[in-house]
Amino acid sequence: MKRIILVGKPNSGKSLLFNQLTGLRQKVANFPGVTVELKTGRFDAFELVDFPGTYSMSTLSRDEDIAVEKINQALLDDNTALIICNLDATRLESSLVFGMQMLALARRFNKKMLFALNMIDEVERFGHHIDVNALAADVGCPVAALSAKTLQGISEFKQQALALANAPTVPAEPMNEATTANIAADTPVNPLVQSRKLAAKYGIKASIVLKTQNRIDAFMLNNVSGSIAFLLVMFLLFQSIFTFATPLMDGVENALGALAQAITGMIGPGMLSDFLNDAIFGGLGSFLVFVPQIMVLTLIIGLLEDSGYLARAALICHRPLSYFGLSGRSFIPYLSAHACAIPAIMAARTIESPRKRLITMLTIPLMSCSARLPVYALLISVLIPQQQYLGGLINLQGVAFFSLYLFGILTALLVSFVLSRTANDDAKSDMPFILELPTYRLPHWKPLIHRVVQSAKQFIYRAGPVIFVVSLVIWTLGYFPSDAGGLEYSYLGQIGHFIEPLFTPLGIDWRYGIAILMSFLAREVFVGALGTLFGIEGADENIAGLAANIQQDGLAFGAGIGILLFYVVALQCVATVATLKAETGSTKLVLGLVAGYGALAYLLAFMAASLIG
Amino acid sequence: MLTLWDAPKGASVTITGLKQGLHQLVLNRLSEMGLDQGQTVLCLRRSPFNGPVVVAIADCVYSLEQQIASHIFIQPLS
Ligand SMILES: Nc1nc2c(ncn2[C@@H]2O[C@H](COP(=O)(O)OP(=O)(O)OP(=O)(O)O)[C@@H](O)[C@H]2O)c(=O)[nH]1
Ligand SMILES: [Mg+2]
Repeated sequence: MKRIILVGKPNSGKSLLFNQLTGLRQKVANFPGVTVELKTGRFDAFELVDFPGTYSMSTLSRDEDIAVEKINQALLDDNTALIICNLDATRLESSLVFGMQMLALARRFNKKMLFALNMIDEVERFGHHIDVNALAADVGCPVAALSAKTLQGISEFKQQALALANAPTVPAEPMNEATTANIAADTPVNPLVQSRKLAAKYGIKASIVLKTQNRIDAFMLNNVSGSIAFLLVMFLLFQSIFTFATPLMDGVENALGALAQAITGMIGPGMLSDFLNDAIFGGLGSFLVFVPQIMVLTLIIGLLEDSGYLARAALICHRPLSYFGLSGRSFIPYLSAHACAIPAIMAARTIESPRKRLITMLTIPLMSCSARLPVYALLISVLIPQQQYLGGLINLQGVAFFSLYLFGILTALLVSFVLSRTANDDAKSDMPFILELPTYRLPHWKPLIHRVVQSAKQFIYRAGPVIFVVSLVIWTLGYFPSDAGGLEYSYLGQIGHFIEPLFTPLGIDWRYGIAILMSFLAREVFVGALGTLFGIEGADENIAGLAANIQQDGLAFGAGIGILLFYVVALQCVATVATLKAETGSTKLVLGLVAGYGALAYLLAFMAASLIG
Repeated sequence: MLTLWDAPKGASVTITGLKQGLHQLVLNRLSEMGLDQGQTVLCLRRSPFNGPVVVAIADCVYSLEQQIASHIFIQPLS
């Protein structure tokens, strides 16, 4: 299939345009370096490729390397029917620096090119008008004004792009009047000088574009108000995962409980009812309760990503993170790792210094991803009383949540510190920190809501089937032989007693041991497995929440904390290991990491169990 | 000589040159960002504890760490 490539400066709206043209939903967010790998979709009869943004053909970071490498390939490829170079119309100068380089290359390799003058809605909001035809004549390449957000100009743009892509390639034409007569007639044409002149002639004055952003930054980056704002944002982020989600979670739990009672009431007692109660509602149900929490987390991270604040947070964190051998840019992957480690490891590509990038990647798994949420939430409600302070503003369980997140972050910093002292240096290892601060934007609601719903779906689809199967297996092994006299004597009990010595030092019995081992399939399985086990035991009780069941059964405080610390530190996710291996290129390193984090996790759990009791 | 690292908050300064010692790729990038001789830069903020400075160059705002800012020679705009 013939291909159209979509390139341009970071954060200029490429991915949003890509989404509009293909109907796909690639990640769009308001900071430079969102897209870090090539993404393809279908636009009419063509394959459209969305590129990572790059400021120039001379690169600093891994995501830019990838973009430039693939641009060079596309230039040589006969299948490249058109290059769409996306420009941020509000920032013509910086967009055209790359744009003019790209145009020079397109001419050299005889490729057709079209400038997409994106974000024209914002230009109009500033009361400015860009004479598109004159601009096109000056640069010597067609230009189409459009807004990927409001969709104005998009249908004309599509027509123009398709007409160009479908037109036969003319054998290298000699430079025509329009191109030789352009305003930057200096020879050899310097793209920098040229973009400066073009921007001065057509663009909005920088002072106008930057006015609002600078005014907000005067507050957000102020030494006092900026620090307070930063701490407040971080605290609210973690506190709200707990506070906002709790009523929703209670709702789901009650609904599931009522459903279970209704169904089992209908079919009467027996093995089927036991199965439904224990494996389905106990196992799968105790996992579904956490869906609202995942959604709240995604919503808040999404809001932050869309606002433009993340680049500021990265700037604020740069100096402190440097002490630990990291970069301010590590902040963004660290934050998104609280949803899932895999995209976060990919996002580390934007870190210019290879060494800091490596350290960031290796410590990302210590951030508490959403798969740990169910484990945290369950054990916190078992161990920590529901207590409010300051009129409900501070919630003890919420504080416990926050502490676990903080523990993960602090461990990551510590590990980074150690790694940065041992890793060896080379010349390119210390690429310095340069970060563009984008304009502040109001979040785009529709894609955000889509993303939130998507996160819930993914959470269910990814872990749901595993939990279902595990619950089924555990239930079967734990229920039979049914005349044996309970769970302790079931097949599962026999296996459990065999592995128990491994977990005795941690102050927990074999049931927790089974749940922990099973959670190497997916961390959420811990909750499902325990749900099933306690379901089998409490055969004829009312369906109480799993937390209440565990409380009744008795779990020592120290041992409980130990399990929590184990989950903070242990690298239990196969997909994360695979991604790390692909991105670092070293199996040895990653296996060492799994072993190291495993040992540390076990040690911490042991210490908690024996010291706290 | 003064460097961008010394520029006080709120000052508009003119770039007079780049000091030796930066990686060639970084030099390329700085010049493409508009940190070229003769260009004007507005110093927007300085951060405590030697954190990065924030500067407006052309139509963008960037934050630059000390290692870079101290390699950029400037002259106060008269
Ligand atoms: N007002 C307005 N905002 C837009 C438009 N296009 C994109 N945006 C916003 O600009 C920001 C960046 O958009 P992306 O599509 O992620 O930019 P990108 O070029 O793919 O960025 P990278 O992947 O980092 O290179 C997001 O906040 C978008 O919502 C537009 O036409 N108008
Ligand atoms: Mg993108």
